[in-house]
Amino acid sequence: MSDTRKFDPNQKEVPDVGLQVDMLLMNRYKIIGVLGGGGMGTVFQARDTHFPEAKRLVAIKEMITPLTNDPAQQQSMLRTFQREANILASLSHAAVPKIYDYFSTEARAYLVMEYINGNDLDALLARTRSLPVQRVVEWAIELCDVLDYLHNIKPQPVIFRDVKPANIMIDSLGKVRLIDFGIAKIFEGDKKHTMIGTEGYSAPEQYRGDVNPRSDIYGLGATLHHVLTRKDPRVEPPFSFHERPVIKFNPAVPQNLIAVIDKALQQRVEDRYATCSEMRQELERVRASGLFSSSADTGMVNPAAMPTPAAPAAPAPAKPKTAPQMQAAPRTDYLDESGSSAVVQARWRFKTEDEIRASPTIFRNVVFVGSYDSNLWAVNAEDGKLVWKLPTGAGIASSPTVDPSTKLVFFGSEDNIIYAADVNSGQVAWTYHTRDKIRASPRVAHNHVFIGSDDGKLYALVAQTGRYLWTFEAGSPIRTRPFVTNELVIFGADDGAIYGIELSGKRKWAIRAKRAVNSSPYVDPKENICFIGSFDGYLYALDASNGYTLWRFRSAAPILSSPVVSDETVYIGATDGKFFAINTSSGKERWQTELPKPIVASPVVHGSFVYIGCTDGAFYCFDTKTGKQVWKFQTNGQITSTPYVENNLLVFGSLDQYLYALPVS
Amino acid sequence: MTDTAPLPQRDPQLDIGTAPMRPTERIGSDEHTHELTKVVPRPPVAPHTNAHLAYGQSSDVGMIRSNNQDSNYVFVSASRSGDAFPQFGIFMVADGMGGHSDGELASATVVRVSASNLLQKVYLPIINKTDISDRVPMSEALDEAFQAAHRVLIEDVPTGGTTLTAAVLMGNLAHVAHVGDSRIYLVNEEKIEKLSRDHSYVQRLIELNELDPSQAENHPQKSVLYRALGLSEQLDVDVMTRRVSSGSYLLICSDGLWGLVSDEELRSITLRYPPQQACDTLVSLANQRGGTDNITVVIVYIP
Repeated sequence: MSDTRKFDPNQKEVPDVGLQVDMLLMNRYKIIGVLGGGGMGTVFQARDTHFPEAKRLVAIKEMITPLTNDPAQQQSMLRTFQREANILASLSHAAVPKIYDYFSTEARAYLVMEYINGNDLDALLARTRSLPVQRVVEWAIELCDVLDYLHNIKPQPVIFRDVKPANIMIDSLGKVRLIDFGIAKIFEGDKKHTMIGTEGYSAPEQYRGDVNPRSDIYGLGATLHHVLTRKDPRVEPPFSFHERPVIKFNPAVPQNLIAVIDKALQQRVEDRYATCSEMRQELERVRASGLFSSSADTGMVNPAAMPTPAAPAAPAPAKPKTAPQMQAAPRTDYLDESGSSAVVQARWRFKTEDEIRASPTIFRNVVFVGSYDSNLWAVNAEDGKLVWKLPTGAGIASSPTVDPSTKLVFFGSEDNIIYAADVNSGQVAWTYHTRDKIRASPRVAHNHVFIGSDDGKLYALVAQTGRYLWTFEAGSPIRTRPFVTNELVIFGADDGAIYGIELSGKRKWAIRAKRAVNSSPYVDPKENICFIGSFDGYLYALDASNGYTLWRFRSAAPILSSPVVSDETVYIGATDGKFFAINTSSGKERWQTELPKPIVASPVVHGSFVYIGCTDGAFYCFDTKTGKQVWKFQTNGQITSTPYVENNLLVFGSLDQYLYALPVS
Repeated sequence: MTDTAPLPQRDPQLDIGTAPMRPTERIGSDEHTHELTKVVPRPPVAPHTNAHLAYGQSSDVGMIRSNNQDSNYVFVSASRSGDAFPQFGIFMVADGMGGHSDGELASATVVRVSASNLLQKVYLPIINKTDISDRVPMSEALDEAFQAAHRVLIEDVPTGGTTLTAAVLMGNLAHVAHVGDSRIYLVNEEKIEKLSRDHSYVQRLIELNELDPSQAENHPQKSVLYRALGLSEQLDVDVMTRRVSSGSYLLICSDGLWGLVSDEELRSITLRYPPQQACDTLVSLANQRGGTDNITVVIVYIP
């Protein structure tokens, strides 16, 4: 129990002569070890030496009466402890530990109880990745049973008051046991800053000092919610369960079980189940409905890994050279509450001659995209017809950028060359040779092009002419697109360094991530905070002016995706398929969702939706507020390309060689 | 993939190869299209004065209580040298709770421990010019400082608890960490903005639309907190970063002030007087209105 210490302010002054391992208590109980802290003292494991042959194990709860100057307080604590003993002694239920003995010495009191061999639910949560829904339902039924028993004790119902995972043991037979009847929370709501104990599981009325049997129902609901969602309510604001819908975190939970939990978690006492037996009946109906899969050990299922029946398998062979093939993917079933079938159809698609790995851009109704077929393609945004193509000497993994003032489109190629071409004709205006492949993408700002190369240099060239301005030697391949602010050029390199370079080419700051940085920086102009991901699994938020890390967000896998910011939220994907929305000022997650395959593409936000492609070949649309999937669109190749949106047209490429154009609102 | 969402470019006119750099103005724009670079003349800012941040602080027992359980703390570093250290400050208010002297002890403890922690993890690396790659990220330093204070509090003052609201100002970024119902505001000519969220039962009811804000004032559970240092084993700290513009103020206070003085009054008094005078004025105002609780306020002017 977390509040042990609250009861004993002077504990430190007490010479520690409490129970110790190997001690023999009352000439009978040999102390073996410590089981943990309980409501009012330590719980020890001991062996009852009166049964020398049987090796009978017991749990002994020790309460040290505080040596305060306040005899009233001392008495009150002793009474509470005795009360626990008396309550337990009067109970007889399979899920309640048996009491064997009670005695007190001068400064201490002891309760000898049945030793329960097992784990509490808190420990189980920590130790497992998922718990089968079916078993959770069983436990819930058993808990209802024991709580109902307690609530019907005559003449005074016993209210457990502290239903939470740490107080629920699962014994070696898999049965539920309630432990720790020792709580005696005193609620003094009108006193200044009253301590209200562990928040999270307690019912709203408990915060007001009003406890009734239905408070235990709330605690049970909270416990079930925690166990099924694995979202610890202690670290969330009180009464915020509805903000973490069970289905969002564990789609294996059937609707009828969710309904039971929702009802148990009602704010108002009268909206909850009237009795535990009523809740138990509902749970039995859930069990009978058998809605959880028979392979019950699914527990937590990655939502995106659920079958998506409507997702097309390999579509019909494309009809080449004819009208673009439309491919539509209805929404995934379980996400579709409205029952509507939102279908997105491509306006057109355009086939290049090799994989499209990089991202397109749009300028004046023309889409520009590089392909591994070594061409830069210019395609009419209206109808997907070819405008021109510009061949280079090798594959293009660089995403083009257009400079509106010079009407030039810039990109690099694996032939080591930086190209500037006229947007209308595809005519090359100038080229610039670097010493290695270019896999980075250019940025145009202040009338200059900034682009990195595998030769380890960042180049600053005059946009109009290609004239050399300066290079910055990073010493390691640069594959990120620099971000240029009014003061600095910010980019990452393969050795993990992130640089802030003055517009004169002089280094202002550098910070090293633990692994390569292939994620391109994004600088939030309002706060001047730079966001950038790394192979080390972190998304960093840096003060763009000096590189100092403000916060970092840890994902479980390398980040290749580049962040994008909208409405105080930064969006980024990770290579374990997780897609995150993170609060820009706090670094705390707003929501996350999981896609079936790694995400290496970058998101874009348009309106109230965020779009991202995945290496599972699908392109996804999510609601920015909730992270709920709105639709997905299937292609036949991995998507590493970042979408570009203009005039309600969204374009992206796929490794299936196609450039896709989807309508967006 | 190695690229961001493409960004539209706008009217770049300046050739940095031939002309000396001039400042440009960022254009905040709609939706996801962002930034960049329309060149404008430098906005009229004062020539480099040696302006430095200024602060005031005031704490009073109030009219009713017999002891002051609030604590505050200020550390300011200002310098001018070739090292160009950013302006730096640590500002804190803690409002202790618990019987006898526990509240006093609690707030004093957390202020002392967390300040020491922040000085070591954040300030010393600056003055020692530690490589930024080796520095603790600010939000983690703040969180660790609060956790350290929380642990020491549990150990040393087991029956005490306290709020703690801290701001670390570094350059023009304010890093705020907060637990409890003390408050931090950002004040400027246009408005007063509450940066923190009260971790109080009543505030939670308001957030849930179960309580009208007007009823909060006299609610019997007005002071019940669901999060405080020393309260439960796990401590969740709200941490956030905000850029603060020149000419604005940070105001940190205990509920003894904000409970009796309206946000608008906080704003107008902060703007009207130099920081110390503003603090004293606010405390007197709260006392005039009954001084029902300890009153503590720290005001920081950002140059």
